[in-house]
Amino acid sequence: MRLVRFILPLLSCAWVFPNSFGQSEQGEISSIRIMQLRRDGNLRIRYPDALPSLLAFMNEHARVKFDQDPLFIQSLTDERLFENPILYINCDELPNFDFSMEENDALRQYLELGGFLYLDAGIKASFLGTDLGHSYAAWEERPEVGEWFSQVFPEKPFIPLARNHEIFRTFYKGLPTNEDLQLEKEQKRLPETVLTFVEQEKWPQGTYSLVGIKVNGRLACLASPICAMGWGRDEFGSWIPPISFRIRESADNFDETLKLASFAGNTFEVTREDGLQDEIFVMPGQRPLWVREPTGRWRIFKYYSGEEISNYAHSFYARLGTNIFLYALLN
Amino acid sequence: MKCFVCLLWSLLASFCFAESPVLPLANEPAEQNQSSPLPPPRSNLEKTLDEAEKKLKSSIEGDRLAAAKLLGKYPNARGTYLLLVGLDDDSALVRRASIVSLIEHFDSGQPMYDRALTEKIFSKVGDPDVEVRREVSALIPRLSIGLMRSGVERTVVNGRMVFRSVPANLREDLFKLAVDALLDVDSIVRQNMLKYYSNLRLPIFPETLSALLSDKDTGVLLVALDKVRLHPQDDTVFEKVEQLASHREIGIRTKVVSVARQLGHAHPLYRGVLRKMMMDDSIEIAAQAAVEVARFGEKLPDEVVAKIEAFLLQSHGLSGKVESIFYGLSSLGEDGNRIYKSLTSHASGKLRSQAWQRYLSLTEGWNAPHVWLPALSDRDVDVRSAILVTLRGRLPELGEPEIRTLIDSRYPDVRAFGAESLLSAQPDTVENTFFDLLIDEDNLVRATTLRVLAKLKTQGWEKIHQQSLLDQEYAIQRAAMDGLLINRQEGIAILRDYLSKNSSTKIAQAIRIELQRMRVPLP
Repeated sequence: MRLVRFILPLLSCAWVFPNSFGQSEQGEISSIRIMQLRRDGNLRIRYPDALPSLLAFMNEHARVKFDQDPLFIQSLTDERLFENPILYINCDELPNFDFSMEENDALRQYLELGGFLYLDAGIKASFLGTDLGHSYAAWEERPEVGEWFSQVFPEKPFIPLARNHEIFRTFYKGLPTNEDLQLEKEQKRLPETVLTFVEQEKWPQGTYSLVGIKVNGRLACLASPICAMGWGRDEFGSWIPPISFRIRESADNFDETLKLASFAGNTFEVTREDGLQDEIFVMPGQRPLWVREPTGRWRIFKYYSGEEISNYAHSFYARLGTNIFLYALLN
Repeated sequence: MKCFVCLLWSLLASFCFAESPVLPLANEPAEQNQSSPLPPPRSNLEKTLDEAEKKLKSSIEGDRLAAAKLLGKYPNARGTYLLLVGLDDDSALVRRASIVSLIEHFDSGQPMYDRALTEKIFSKVGDPDVEVRREVSALIPRLSIGLMRSGVERTVVNGRMVFRSVPANLREDLFKLAVDALLDVDSIVRQNMLKYYSNLRLPIFPETLSALLSDKDTGVLLVALDKVRLHPQDDTVFEKVEQLASHREIGIRTKVVSVARQLGHAHPLYRGVLRKMMMDDSIEIAAQAAVEVARFGEKLPDEVVAKIEAFLLQSHGLSGKVESIFYGLSSLGEDGNRIYKSLTSHASGKLRSQAWQRYLSLTEGWNAPHVWLPALSDRDVDVRSAILVTLRGRLPELGEPEIRTLIDSRYPDVRAFGAESLLSAQPDTVENTFFDLLIDEDNLVRATTLRVLAKLKTQGWEKIHQQSLLDQEYAIQRAAMDGLLINRQEGIAILRDYLSKNSSTKIAQAIRIELQRMRVPLP
């Protein structure tokens, strides 16, 4: 950690990929520019403040020098792709996953030359349907992404990242603290039930569900559930938009009660970290109600919102985003 | 013999039907491995709610808790009223589960506008458990619709029916609870109450406001600063704002700048706060405050202008606070123009392009080619196009050196702009430069040059266009055709001639259509 803090300011003064990616044409010492793929047309732009806010956050806390204006490209055949080392795509913003053969070739070449692709919302549980705002920790890439990458790297599947992967400790380690949230020492962070679930199951030690593809032995492409919703800040530095928590809760005799309770909806299967499947119970028009876990345990979903919960979630996503981008830069 | 025949028949029959499937009878159970899984037996809604009601009255805390959690999944009137029972439970866990389940009902669209119901929920803002108070205080915007509903009550006075209106006020005991909650021990509750005080029509007295402006929690302070407009002239409140102008948190000081800017128009006292903040330790805050002071028409000291310039040059891009300071620079007059000029060499492309646009517009820089010509060598295409948009249509007549600089550029968009600029150049300049543009490697540059030549009718233009019809690039052929169509007198004959010799090319098709539209006989 201390080494990283020392190295980052040095790295920020020069390109990390001197051979593969060119310097600016004027030869000046420049900031690192993150590219974002945004197709042309009438798109619904999701979380427009997110990426610039995260870049500012990293500049402030990690002492790197990212250009706060992402470089938007409309196609993967854009020649500027090869001038910048990191490409960010919010998969929920893409109108479709139709990439031409030329684009796939360019992407393959980019990743093989040392580029890094971060697919935000590249994981999306099936039960979320058209409700694109939710983040759910499933452990496999969304089917459209899988299909797309079968054309880019047919021989390489997405592999889940272990909880002890160094990406989770690149700069920040563990969950947000009172200091991150700017709370007083005695201030309570989260309701007890929420905090216990978050620390033990939702984000243990600040980890999250990520899947990736290695190219030439290097993690070159990473997909995660949507994280951008946690990065935005308004001009006074307050986090936007508010985020609530989905928590699994139990109580006495729930295994018996939920087996019998009235239910008239659909069920969906979602892959867990251990490769087994959770069965999610969803009623039409409502958020998921409860889950049957492969261990045979039944638990109910409860939703918690509020200032402290939202701040906590934003702080977590910003720390995770920082770890991901700095990992991309260092590797 | 008869027995033998019977035996034979029975043997034959057994051979014939041995491979046929054996169909089970209708009432016979199918084998386990051939059946599809049966859906689990489920009770209906009424029975589930009956069960939850029974458990909610149980003496076992775990049962009551489970019932309160489960009821959240059934957003209907009966479920809501059962949860109200849970709000009075002795166990804090059950009360928390009940309020969270009620919120789920709200989220699922269950109408909860009944006054008695919302009053019952809001009364829990005085609950001993902090988590219940937090949830209830966060619910105020939703509860207020029912809480603040006016109505009519009917009473009998001396045997006579009397109707009286019930004002849309908070019930007296709830009003007291709400006022107390403004100074709750928990900062989240204080913050929520202050944020939503107007939903409950609570009065915020200057004493309460100044107490909240001294809060330890930054979240509460931010919300309290938003409410300074309620008592801007109160001495204690103003004093607190002055103190917060030197708060340790930069976010709070930023908020003070914003509050002082809004109040500064009507209450000049707050301009003094901004003037003090121009000397803030943070260059960012100092720059923000200075720009706001300049917007009030005051002249800034040189050292402050230097701070603004340093802040903008150090910034990483044009976003958030930087943006508001950037656009505020125009209030600084000449100093502002000078800062815009120095920002044209900033590392951020977006900032450079905006700086060029502002600088050229404010100084009418398009009249001075020595100012903008170097800018067109910027590496970022967005910066170049922003400058070109500002220049287009405003340029004075350009001399040959300037045109030469444009057409020698490494960027095709700039060379195409050079071709456009020939329109306002002297004929000698056009004569001396157009050939270089005609042999440019970029189609856009060549096509633009052709169109310009057709407009200017430069000597020999017809020959050039005639030759260009034979070019391999369709864009060039198209530009040549358009030029010849504009000048019909010379152009039609050339086009007809081309058609007679090249009848099957793609451009021939377009020429044919255009000539037919002009009712010109085809060859």
